[in-house]
Amino acid sequence: MKKIIKNPLALAGLIIILLIAILALFASHLSPYDPNYIDIQSILVSPNKQHIMGTDALGRDVFSRMLHGAQISLLVGIVAVGISTLIGIVLGSIAGFYRGITDTLIMRLVDVMLSIPSFFLILAVIAFLTPSIWNIMIVIGLTSWMGVTRLVRAEFLSLKERDFILAAETIGASDLRIILTHLLPNSLGPIIVSTVLGVASAVLIESGLSFLGLGVQAPTASWGNILTDGKEYIQFAWWLSLFPGLAILITVLGYNLLGEGLRDNFDQNT
Amino acid sequence: MRLILTSLFFICLFGCNKSQTEDVINFDEEASQESGGTLTNAMIGEPNNLIAMIAGDGASSAIAGQIFNSLLKYDENLEFEGDLAESWEVSKDYKTIKFNLKTQKKWSDEQPITCKDVLFTWKAVTHPDTRTPYGSDYQLVSSAECVNDYQFIAKYNEPYAPALETWASLHILPEHLLKNEDINNTYFSLNPVGSNYFALDSWVTGQQLKLKANPNAIHGKPLIENKVSRIIPDLSSQFMELIAGNIDLMSINPIQYSRVFPNRSELNNKINLYKEMGNGYTYFGFNLNKKPFDDINIRKAISYAIDRQEIIDGVLLGLGEEITSPYKPGTYWENKNIKKLSFNPQKAKELLEKSGYRLNNNIYEKDGIPLSFEILTNQNKQREMTAVLIQRRLQDIGIDVSIRVIEWASFVNRFIKTGEFQAVVLGWSLSLDPDQYSIWHSSQQGPGQFNFIGYSNKRVDDLLEKGRRELNKEKRKAIYDEFSAILYEDQPIVYLYAGYGLSAIHKKIKGVKKLSPPAGIYHNDYEWFVPTKFRRNEMSL
Repeated sequence: MKKIIKNPLALAGLIIILLIAILALFASHLSPYDPNYIDIQSILVSPNKQHIMGTDALGRDVFSRMLHGAQISLLVGIVAVGISTLIGIVLGSIAGFYRGITDTLIMRLVDVMLSIPSFFLILAVIAFLTPSIWNIMIVIGLTSWMGVTRLVRAEFLSLKERDFILAAETIGASDLRIILTHLLPNSLGPIIVSTVLGVASAVLIESGLSFLGLGVQAPTASWGNILTDGKEYIQFAWWLSLFPGLAILITVLGYNLLGEGLRDNFDQNT
Repeated sequence: MRLILTSLFFICLFGCNKSQTEDVINFDEEASQESGGTLTNAMIGEPNNLIAMIAGDGASSAIAGQIFNSLLKYDENLEFEGDLAESWEVSKDYKTIKFNLKTQKKWSDEQPITCKDVLFTWKAVTHPDTRTPYGSDYQLVSSAECVNDYQFIAKYNEPYAPALETWASLHILPEHLLKNEDINNTYFSLNPVGSNYFALDSWVTGQQLKLKANPNAIHGKPLIENKVSRIIPDLSSQFMELIAGNIDLMSINPIQYSRVFPNRSELNNKINLYKEMGNGYTYFGFNLNKKPFDDINIRKAISYAIDRQEIIDGVLLGLGEEITSPYKPGTYWENKNIKKLSFNPQKAKELLEKSGYRLNNNIYEKDGIPLSFEILTNQNKQREMTAVLIQRRLQDIGIDVSIRVIEWASFVNRFIKTGEFQAVVLGWSLSLDPDQYSIWHSSQQGPGQFNFIGYSNKRVDDLLEKGRRELNKEKRKAIYDEFSAILYEDQPIVYLYAGYGLSAIHKKIKGVKKLSPPAGIYHNDYEWFVPTKFRRNEMSL
């Protein structure tokens, strides 16, 4: 933690993430309006005192929608990465610990999954499912575990040659115990880094899907939705494109800064 | 810093395109007719086949319609006039139509146009191997023959009222080029030879199609020398191209019409806007084969709960009209005597309760099943916004609605053709003949057919069949008036709005009629021209 504070970029990332998380958590208290409240008397009003980020084509308050969109983005990011990290840890541990044919099978599966461009895989799967925020989280999670698997396996392969593992094996510790209490805690660094970076890419994927109309469905607000609504009026209602675009940019930037900072930090340790 | 840079970038994006040339030119100056020049427009999709009967999509027919002629066409008041036909006669029993073709007319490859071409086209469109959705109309012709090179006779077993319209929409194809070809799959479809104002000059896939004036055009050469159709799949990009002066005309949306243009005088100096009633309507449709939509009270309740004026004001910014019959407002076939259901949430609730629904946690339910369904629509911003407004109103009275927006191809193939939907927000384009057999007749419910909502009403079936056989205009009007009234009583769909067609056309294009005729603003586009002083250097590809 101290190291993070010393690294100004990582600190900036952390602050951005915390700020956005607070905004998202208290969205319903901070929003001046109901994000789905339609007011056809004030369509596409530019930012002013009543609507600090203006209104959209149905007269809904963009600021309130941005706050609720933050919830969606963060929720999708965190749950999707949770799923992928979990799968990655399990498969990576098995592959790295048992090696042999299990390792080969799992790693070839990873190769196969990696050979398919993940955004198009997600697009194809989502097109067959009902688009909902839960499906998106699950699909993103199920299609982005390969990096973590490789990381965990690599860590396990090198850690397994160390003396303390040999010692644990000698005293008769079970496989599960060795994995959970010895190997995993020692591989945590790279996992955390990839998790943090993973959130950034999940946020981007969710925005991309919503932008293409395959993500969160109307009238629920998400940054991608607001952005795609704004596309049609870009020469005229700039606020509909600027704010969600900036929000996505800043959030992804925050996670990347923190992730990179943590990586530098762990690299120094080893 | 990053923020500032980004903002600067955006400001530049919105502001920098203003200061270009052109502003000095006064496009309002009058000019005398002259030929030559280029007209550039944009298309969302690329044509796939310029034989319209095979293609069946809008982009293809739009281009094919400039290359080919039919036997008949509509004049500016939507009355029939001869296209390839010089004159025509309908027999007293309405079963025979005799067309006298114009003589001495040529295809763009100099071959003469004769009755053989017409007969060939009729045989092609009715041939069982031809993959066309339009065959059934022409299969009603029991026999067709050429009396001589310039007289074509079509005989029907019984009177068929839309017959003349069908002959106004069948593009006549050249026999001499197609007789030994497989019409479903021929190079001719990408390299057509026609008889209308324009002929295909070049086609760069994914970029543009270029048409040039056809010197053999049967109605004489048009004034415009070249027509370029650029393929720009995104409407916002098209609009930017219009503003930048890279395309000369496009259809615009209500926001652009009543918000963007009034605020930017420099656009009004070079672009004219036109507004005319569109040729179609948007509706909220129920799948009548699914519960609870088989219950007329539910359908009526929903109709009462939807505020149509709010949709017109909110989505179309007032640029549309409510309708009560499935015809273009203001036309002969519209039934003006139908009393419209107005927005009345209280009445909606009463109807739901009459059907046995009770409120539970603000949602109506019956036998423990809550009243909830999903509205499907395709990726069309106006329809999506309409769905959101409907959802809000239905939520207000206690119906739980979700919305799902789907890309067009999978919308049609996965949901409409299979009948796997509950409710849709969709639109119908209308033909000029009042016959709507294919949309409402109970026999038209097969996969891929148009009565996909599953509407079936014995009386409506009878009326639709009668309407097709009746050629007396007044009697026909009475039939379709009754049909419209029953349809409104049944509410198999809730009519939402008929929107205005909004066009933006560059002022350098002269000859556009200020007051558009019933046939629409583009009706006289062969008389449009670009004065030399307004022509710009044109890039060639």
